[in-house]
Amino acid sequence: MYGGESVKRYRKPIQYIILAFVVLIGGYAIGQSFFKTSTVLKAGEAAPEFTLADLSGQTHRLDDYKGKPLVLNFWGTFCPPCRDEMPDLQRIYEKWQGQGLQVVGINLSEDRISVRSFAKSYGVNFPILLDKNRKIERLYGLKEYPTTFFIRPDGTIQEIAVGGPMSESFIEQRVERLFQP
Amino acid sequence: MFQNTKCECGHQNPTGTVLCEACGNPLVDDLPPDSPLEMRYDGAARRSQKQNPDLIDRVWNFFSSVKVAVWLIVITLIGAALGTIYPQESSFVNLDDPAQYYKDTYGTWGMIYHFLGLSRTYESWWFIGLLVMIGTSLVICSLDRVLPLYKALSKQQVRKHLNFLRRQQTVYETTLQTEPAEWVEKFARELKRKRYRVWIDRKDGMALLAEKNRFSRWGPYINHIGLIVFLLAVLARAVPAWHMDKYVSLDEGQIKQIPDTPYYVKNEKFTVEFYSDDELPERLKGTLRPKLYETKATLYTCTADCDDPVKDPVLVPVKQHNIQVNSPLSYKGLKLYQYNYEERIRLISVKPMLVDKTNNRSYGPFELPMTDPPLTYKAGPYTLKLSDVYPDFGLDEQNRPMTKSRDPNNPAFVFVVTGPGLAAGGEMYIYFPMPSAENKKLQDQLNESFRKLGSNSGRFAFEVNGMENVSFSQYTSTLNVRVDRAMPYIWVGAAISMIGLVMGFYWQHRRIWLRIDGRALTLGAHTNKNTYGIRAEVAAALGRTGIAVEPKALDNRRNKR
Repeated sequence: MYGGESVKRYRKPIQYIILAFVVLIGGYAIGQSFFKTSTVLKAGEAAPEFTLADLSGQTHRLDDYKGKPLVLNFWGTFCPPCRDEMPDLQRIYEKWQGQGLQVVGINLSEDRISVRSFAKSYGVNFPILLDKNRKIERLYGLKEYPTTFFIRPDGTIQEIAVGGPMSESFIEQRVERLFQP
Repeated sequence: MFQNTKCECGHQNPTGTVLCEACGNPLVDDLPPDSPLEMRYDGAARRSQKQNPDLIDRVWNFFSSVKVAVWLIVITLIGAALGTIYPQESSFVNLDDPAQYYKDTYGTWGMIYHFLGLSRTYESWWFIGLLVMIGTSLVICSLDRVLPLYKALSKQQVRKHLNFLRRQQTVYETTLQTEPAEWVEKFARELKRKRYRVWIDRKDGMALLAEKNRFSRWGPYINHIGLIVFLLAVLARAVPAWHMDKYVSLDEGQIKQIPDTPYYVKNEKFTVEFYSDDELPERLKGTLRPKLYETKATLYTCTADCDDPVKDPVLVPVKQHNIQVNSPLSYKGLKLYQYNYEERIRLISVKPMLVDKTNNRSYGPFELPMTDPPLTYKAGPYTLKLSDVYPDFGLDEQNRPMTKSRDPNNPAFVFVVTGPGLAAGGEMYIYFPMPSAENKKLQDQLNESFRKLGSNSGRFAFEVNGMENVSFSQYTSTLNVRVDRAMPYIWVGAAISMIGLVMGFYWQHRRIWLRIDGRALTLGAHTNKNTYGIRAEVAAALGRTGIAVEPKALDNRRNKR
């Protein structure tokens, strides 16, 4: 008896192996195509980690802010709505700081001198961090300026507010939601 | 439905065998008795027919079908064609809002096109899925056919049944005039001269099998292996480290990081040369046609402090190259191509003098870079401290100074000058390095307003003496950064595929069987292509053994041409 028997004996394992490869490689390739489209952050996802220096040269990490709600505002002096909403952010910070709210501004890779003089002239005293080479800006997938991330104490994003300027009541509504369990 | 699989020669064949594995006798009468036999896979059973195919068998049989493969290819072709209707998203350098762009540029059809995902056809899940299915089909189709073929061809019998011989495409029957053994030896010699490999069976009457170019049968399977390698390499481009296609724009003298890599690239100098009028044909005279453009670029790698938020990364140069169109800077798989350039004057740094208008004395010069300027400067006995920087000076709605963007298009610096003979708080001046009438006006206006507020005494001014104290960038060069590690494998796959095609097309697998019963000679021959050639060879070999026969007479096919 030629052929038939030995073929039958190896047939099943070979079939399994080949189909397993197909599922693995095919699954990876197709899965990749889904992955590529979603570089945009969405509410519910964890905020990406960063390590940036503030105006005095101290480094801050996103991790440092875990445990309390955080308003993360990306801004630049070249962006008029960003400037216009600064006073509102400052007022919210003063109002809610006592209850544990953290407000952090990440500047869009401008030089320290411009940022410091701006912060001083607008009377901003919440931490301002300096992004370098637009790295964190790209990490957070920013498309428009300003963009503000309302982040829960556990580090997940509650809401993303794209564009501005945000009014004080707009910010306040979202801050209240951050404090809800 | 059971099939009788035991041949009259005594050999038990697996289910589905068309021609007996031992003697070639047809077991299945699906063709009219006179027509040539179906010789695919030498009549071996291609697939074991099972009574109850389970899921794995069903999936296997689906992909093993040539009809399914053809459909997959047709659908992929149509899909790929659809991707060419409008430009794909990947062809744009900077596309911020694809949905809006397609709607604006191509109207409703554009909107539908983008909505259906066709603007990203070649990265879409269904297109990649089709490629994966074609690859699977390639593997399974080939395996299912090459294994039975290999078994059939490596276990060939010399002595074949008369039914087998008489129903080949090329047949010859005659009665031998000479001694059979002697004649067969002569015939075998003739065939060996034609590079056939000959086997002779001498018991119970002579039988002969001559075969050549069996390797050509593996051609299509080698081709398929090549295609599988090609497809795998194409799919491998999905691995992030294996594929990059980015753009980096650099002013002269500027150094930028290539995003998501530890590499930095610096544009040392950009040169563009235009054809002179005498080098141009008549109709192009007077136009500015680039003859050459080149970026002298240096590639750096970061060795320390690469992600440090406070410190600057430590860079080490690793490669230098004058990048021209089609002459990229190549380093460890990373390639930087010259993509585009723009003429745009941007100051890099200036070396101004601090002028004391009261006694016409100039102090300095001091070096003032437009980007990342240091905080303090010294000019003679005076210290200048930078109080504000505006890379792209403008006035906001309330006429206050602001910057319009982050690019140093029109920088302005606000200095506080301190030193001997000055007020304790220093004097504030604004300085616009870019020389333009508008800037001069603004500068004077603003400094005047400072003076009115008491911030300065109007004593100082800034002046740059001569072009040697100005360093500026005339061009912004755009480089295309690419990584394509899959390319060598794509070439290998294509080469293997070509070898397989050449093997299959330029040689033909030819076999000649004959048997002598008493003095009756029965000869049958088979080839997978070019029956004309084998008939000519058989006729020539027969002719040299003394049997004169026209090649046309050997033709046994129904539609004789």
